[in-house]
Amino acid sequence: MSEQLYQRIMLEHARNPHGAGKVPRGTEDGEALNSACGDDIRIALQWGADGRLEKMTHELQGCAVSKASASLASQKLAGLTTAEIREVAAGFHARLGQTGFEKEWGDFQMFNGIEKFPARIHCARLVWQAVAQALAKREGGAP
Amino acid sequence: MPSEFTSQKETALFQPEHVRRQFPIFEREVAWLDNAATTQRPERVLRAMDEFNRRHNANTRRSVHRLGAEATAAYEGAREVVARFIGAESPAEVIFTPGTTVGINIVANSLAHGGIGPGDEVWISAQEHHGNWVPWLKATQTLGAHLRIIPLLPDGHLDLARFQEGLAGGRVRWVALTWVSNVLGFENDVRAFCAAAHGAGARVLVDAAQAAAHVPMDVRELDCDFLAFSGHKMYGPMGIGVLWGRAELLAQMEPFILGGEMIGRVEEQAATWAEPPYRFEGGTPNVMGAVGLGEAMGWLENLPAGAHEHVSALAREAAQTLAELPGVRILGPAMERVSLVSFCVDGVHAHDVAQVLDGRGIAVRAGHMCAQPLLRRLGVESAVRASFAPYNTMDEVNALVEGVRAAQELFA
Ligand SMILES: Cc1ncc(COP(=O)(O)O)c(C=O)c1O
Repeated sequence: MSEQLYQRIMLEHARNPHGAGKVPRGTEDGEALNSACGDDIRIALQWGADGRLEKMTHELQGCAVSKASASLASQKLAGLTTAEIREVAAGFHARLGQTGFEKEWGDFQMFNGIEKFPARIHCARLVWQAVAQALAKREGGAP
Repeated sequence: MPSEFTSQKETALFQPEHVRRQFPIFEREVAWLDNAATTQRPERVLRAMDEFNRRHNANTRRSVHRLGAEATAAYEGAREVVARFIGAESPAEVIFTPGTTVGINIVANSLAHGGIGPGDEVWISAQEHHGNWVPWLKATQTLGAHLRIIPLLPDGHLDLARFQEGLAGGRVRWVALTWVSNVLGFENDVRAFCAAAHGAGARVLVDAAQAAAHVPMDVRELDCDFLAFSGHKMYGPMGIGVLWGRAELLAQMEPFILGGEMIGRVEEQAATWAEPPYRFEGGTPNVMGAVGLGEAMGWLENLPAGAHEHVSALAREAAQTLAELPGVRILGPAMERVSLVSFCVDGVHAHDVAQVLDGRGIAVRAGHMCAQPLLRRLGVESAVRASFAPYNTMDEVNALVEGVRAAQELFA
C-alpha cells in the first residue's frame, strides 16, 4: 500500500527537491503550518520586472509527500504571473484527491490515488497554502 | 488462596492471544501499536454499554421513572467502581468528565478563585502534553501569574532539585505534572514532587492519562491533590474520563461548566451550586461512557498475572532493538519503559515511517504527539511512537522493527 504512495518519481523529488533552500524566519513571503504534525514551510518569491515569478525558494520541515509537492510547485510556477499562478493553484486543488491529474500535469500524476491516504492530502497541500498567502500579500488582497 | 496464587505464579507465562481474543476489533488484521493514543475495547466493555443502551437508557437524577432510577444506579455504580479503583476516600471525590483535557481545564479555570494572583507561580514540567500545558498557560496569563517549567535532566528525567529551588522562592501555588510522559514513556517520581510541593504549600494535579492503563493508581499513596485521566486510554470508551480531587478542595472550588445538574437553586438573578461531584458535572452526563469505564476497570483488575510486565517487556524490546539500528534515535532511556517507545529515523520523516508501517498493517503514531515544547527541547521536530497493550505480541515488535528497516531502505 505505502509503496503505492511512494512511487519512484516522488522519492526522487523528495530526495532532491527543486527550489529547496534557506528562507530565514521573518524573510518569508508565505508560510504554512500543518498543526496536526507540526510540519511547516516558508517560501520566498523572486519576481521579474515583467511581473513573472523568477524563482520560488522554500524551506520545509516535512515528509516526502510535502517535499515532493514543494518541488513540483517550484518547477510548475516559475515564469508565471500571479493570475496564472492562481489558475494553476485552482487546477491543483480541483485535481488533488478528486479527479486526479491528467498527462499534461506531468509528475503531478504521482499524486493520483492519494485519496487512499487521506491523512497525506494535507501534506501535498502545504506548499500551496504558503503560495496562496504569498500571492495575497503581493496583491494586498485576500488569499 | 495461597495454592491458587502459587499456581498462577508458576504459569506466569502470560499469553497475549488469550487477551487478544476478547477484542472484536482484532477480527481485522492490524498490529495496533497506537495504544497511547487510544486503546481498543474488549467485548465485556462493549457489551455493558450495549446493555445500557438497549435496556436502561434514561437521563439520570432528574427522572422519577424506573428507567431513570436504573440509569442513575448505573452511573453512580460506575462512580463507586472508579473510587475503589483509584483509592478515593469517597465516590463524591470522583468527577466524571469527557476526558483528561476537560478535567485539567476544570481545575485550571478554578485557579482564579483559588487565591492565585499576580506574581504567583504555576509550575508544569517540560514533559507535558499540550492538554496539561495550554490550560495553565492561559490561566497564568489571565491572572498575571507566571508559568514555570521544570526542566529535564540529560536523560529526560525531571529535575527535582531545580523544582525545589523554585519552591524556595515562596511563590509557587500550583503544580501540574504528568505521571508518565506520552513521549518518553517512563514513570516520573510524582510522589517526590507532591511531597516537595506540599512542603511549600503548593497544590499538585497529576496527569495520569498515560499511567491509568498500566500503573496501579492510588491517590492516597501518591498524595496528590487532583488526578485526571481518560477512559479511552484504558480500554474504556471515548468521551468519558475522571477528575479526582480531595474532598476539602472540591468543596471550596467554583464550577467551570454551568448549567443543568450542577445547581443548588436558581433565581432569576442568583444561583447556588450543588455539592461535589455534581457541581462539576454540568449538563446530561455520559452514562453509557461511565458504565463502559467502570467495566473497563473491572476488566483491568481481572487481567491475568504478568500482563503489565508483558507490556513493558514489549516496549523495552522495541526500544533496544530499534536503538541498535543505525540512524535510529530513541527518546528516553531504553530500559525504562512503562508501555511505549518514541523514536526518530535519520533522513526519514516520521510520517513517512508511519506510512510505510501502515502499509504493513502496523498502526503507530507520528508527529509532534501533542508535546511540541518537549520535542523542541529534545531537538526533534517529529517522532514515531509505538505503544503497547497486553494484546500485543513479540511478533508485532519484530514486524515493527522490520518495517522501520524497510522505511530506511525505501528512503535511502
Ligand atoms: C499525557 C497526556 N495527557 C493528556 C492527554 C489528553 O487526553 P484526552 O485527549 O483524552 O483528553 C493525553 C492524550 O493523548 C496524554 O497522553
